[in-house]
Amino acid sequence: MNSKYIFGGIIIVVFFGIMAYLFTQTNVSYEENFALIKQSDKTMKATGQWVKAKSYQVDRENNLFAFFMEDAQGNEMKVVYKGAIPNNFESSTSVVVTGKYRNNRFEATEILTKCPSKYEEQFDATASS
Amino acid sequence: MFGNILLTLALAASVFTIIMYYYTHKGYTNTLKFARIGYHSMAILVIASSAMLLHAILTHSYQYKYVYNYSGSDLSTGLLMSTFWAGQEGSFMLWLLFTAITGLILLEYTSKRGDLENRVMMVFTLALTFLLIMVNPLLKNPFSYIWTDPVFINIKNINESFLSLPFIQSFYFEDSSNGTSFIQMNSDLYGLLSANGIAIKDFIVQGKGLNPLLQNFWMQIHPPILFVGFAMSTVPFAFALSALMSNEYKDWVKQSLPWVLSGAMVLGLAIMLGGYWAYGVLGWGGYWGWDPVENSSLVPWIIGVASVHTLLVQKKTQKEGGAGRFVKTNLILCIMTYVLVLYSTFLTRSGILSDASVHSFVAPGRVVFVLLLGFILSFTFIGFGALAYRWKYLNENFSKEGSALSRELALFTGSVALIASAIIILAGTSAPIFGTAVELTFYNELNLPIAIIIGLLNGFSLLVKWKYTEGKDIIKESRNSIVGTVVVTLAIVIIGGVYDLMAVLFTFAAAFTLVVNAEIAYKIFRGRKTYLGAYIAHIGIALFMLGVVATGGFTKSKQVELIKGEPKEVFGREVTFTGWAPFDNGKKYHFNIDIKQGNKVSTIKPVMFIAEFNNSLMREPDILSSFTNDFYISPVGYDEGKAGAHNHGVSESATLKKGESFSFENIKITFTNFNFPPDAMQSMQEGKEFKIGAQLLVEYGNKTKTLEPKMVTREGNRSFENVELEDANLRIEMKNLDAGGTVNLAFSKLDAAQTEESEEIIAKQEILTIDASIKPFINLVWLGVLLVTFGFVISTIRRTKESQA
Repeated sequence: MNSKYIFGGIIIVVFFGIMAYLFTQTNVSYEENFALIKQSDKTMKATGQWVKAKSYQVDRENNLFAFFMEDAQGNEMKVVYKGAIPNNFESSTSVVVTGKYRNNRFEATEILTKCPSKYEEQFDATASS
Repeated sequence: MFGNILLTLALAASVFTIIMYYYTHKGYTNTLKFARIGYHSMAILVIASSAMLLHAILTHSYQYKYVYNYSGSDLSTGLLMSTFWAGQEGSFMLWLLFTAITGLILLEYTSKRGDLENRVMMVFTLALTFLLIMVNPLLKNPFSYIWTDPVFINIKNINESFLSLPFIQSFYFEDSSNGTSFIQMNSDLYGLLSANGIAIKDFIVQGKGLNPLLQNFWMQIHPPILFVGFAMSTVPFAFALSALMSNEYKDWVKQSLPWVLSGAMVLGLAIMLGGYWAYGVLGWGGYWGWDPVENSSLVPWIIGVASVHTLLVQKKTQKEGGAGRFVKTNLILCIMTYVLVLYSTFLTRSGILSDASVHSFVAPGRVVFVLLLGFILSFTFIGFGALAYRWKYLNENFSKEGSALSRELALFTGSVALIASAIIILAGTSAPIFGTAVELTFYNELNLPIAIIIGLLNGFSLLVKWKYTEGKDIIKESRNSIVGTVVVTLAIVIIGGVYDLMAVLFTFAAAFTLVVNAEIAYKIFRGRKTYLGAYIAHIGIALFMLGVVATGGFTKSKQVELIKGEPKEVFGREVTFTGWAPFDNGKKYHFNIDIKQGNKVSTIKPVMFIAEFNNSLMREPDILSSFTNDFYISPVGYDEGKAGAHNHGVSESATLKKGESFSFENIKITFTNFNFPPDAMQSMQEGKEFKIGAQLLVEYGNKTKTLEPKMVTREGNRSFENVELEDANLRIEMKNLDAGGTVNLAFSKLDAAQTEESEEIIAKQEILTIDASIKPFINLVWLGVLLVTFGFVISTIRRTKESQA
């Protein structure tokens, strides 16, 4: 066996080792069940709906943006985000927030809003003539 | 309908072309001209159908579902044209169009170079066939009529004069939650309208419009250039396959190099135009966010660049006779480039990333998902199947060893480092498929050391000679460069205050690349200028890397509240908000900010507006650029001063159903019941005044009280009676009462309401809140990108000349 292959092999193993290690270290999982998020102290990506009825609050002095989110089971949690309200927030149907649950609220570092592309379909369900 | 006929014919023509090229490849001589006719007809059909779509968009033909969904009548011509690629269907059309046009040039190119044409064009046309299947009338077809599936069309988009038609009533719907009215468009309505001689084009007079985020200059150039890049990445794949088919591995290298270079140039430029769009207009604050969609187009670019380097080695080593070194590597890389482009498309369009990316594409439906998957799998199978078929031959004939201290090996190692970087990005980007994601540190921490290695290898590879170099020669050769690099690095480290070890190493690597390439570029500048391409591109990369260190490590930012007319000190500048001014017919607002530094005053105008499209606040930053830094101002919010300087008037609102409760400042409010007096119903029917109350149970401290805000209807006008509870310091305003069973209430503190009023009397201050940041040397990033692009252009010219030899 050529020593070059052994050398190359070691580099490849080390490379994938480091990558796998960092992958697990920086891994953030998606969670749709807020009950589990409230128990965990890990950083997570929570996916759910903005509770429109409870509106949202903007605290300009502390640069905070707060709103309520609910999951499919109806579990609610308060989300606090340090920063301005995202561009598309008001028309969003579902929201993905990244952060940790602490002090009875979800402290988000990132908000991703998704907008309805076909509002007709949702409307269809409530339509009455 | 006509567009669909063209597309279907084009699909048939593409299949015909493949068959004719296949026969030509098998040795028939009379089929080549049919193949060419086939390809040209297909290209003409594709161009004609694209022209039809563009025409439909420009004439606002809302009978096409695609035009209605993505276009609008109030857009400027440039933006109107860009709605061509605003949706899935149109962007497939654009990709198809550019691939077909690329093929025309490729056909011309290959027809002059031996028997290349048969094989290359056969594979290339296959890619077109897949794209044509994608836009066929059953799948992502831009020519479907709006009535084929029932859709609800907002009444504001319908020509008013037709609303009085008697039969319209049975297609009329109302959304009780927000009072919007719709017309359901379906084949029945279409039938009735046509029977009355009304064209859909006249019936629907406005489209849904273009997302305001996309309404700017960059939308007009970034996607088309990206798709040209995607189209061109098909070419190396076709060349590699052609080489495998003929089992000839020498000539394809020089023949494909101009295409690989120009493809990488276009794709790289497109990616960074997207970066500039995000930075300068969308206000994301940076040019790169490691977003999965951004990454997925970066990965094929990196692989393309890696293949440029190993292809060069193969070409250079052909001088010793034979096919040269790295035959297998090059075949794999050229196949991978296209497979990765397809993978990128799959990730972006399949809906898989919709929870992970800001560039959300909606799930296109199962059939398209499967077809996209089939597209990648087919090309992966074709590419690697052909490779496997020849693998034994390749292994026996092309497994040569070379010297460790040679430019060949240094270039190869550099390519390996690029591939490693691509693997990292690919792993992080693919994570959402498995329901997980990585933090951005994953990309940064892993790519930083690789970028350092790449920078060092780049300089080193240029100091060593081809084939073999004596150790002592390298030391002699590199003395000047090393000294130069150390000086440049020290200067940057000391002046810039770079103290982080990795940042210092990164700076050193970039400086090394810069110095070595600048030295060589200077030497050959007086000689053959077409040889400069590589060095210019490398200098570009080095400047880009320095720009990344500066902006990545030394950006400062903070949020500032600017009171109108009062100067405020921000990062050594005197910043004053001078007022706002409407533009674009009053739809948008400029917020004028004067920035005074020394004696120089400049005005910048970030933008905010409420977009009708999605009823959201949109913000656009503005930048004061100088050579050493960008002063970047992104608007956050504007307060016209109603609530005074400090907003104590915290108010919360809630929509409650019967039995639901809400907490405000430790007060629990429960909506128990409607108070619907017996005579109200009668009054309502007679059109007299009536009141409907909402009974609220208010619990605070140990006390419980019942309050009842009311809705009063008088001659059809609604007003509300609000309630206050002094000892709870609570004011409840009724905002809306819906017969569907909900009330909308706003809660506020009583004393807050008073301070509000008193402050308003004292001073009405307009406040603009901004995010201000200083981004040092970000211009190096853009300058670097331009130089890389320029370098690729020069190299493409040089290699095109060589490919004819």
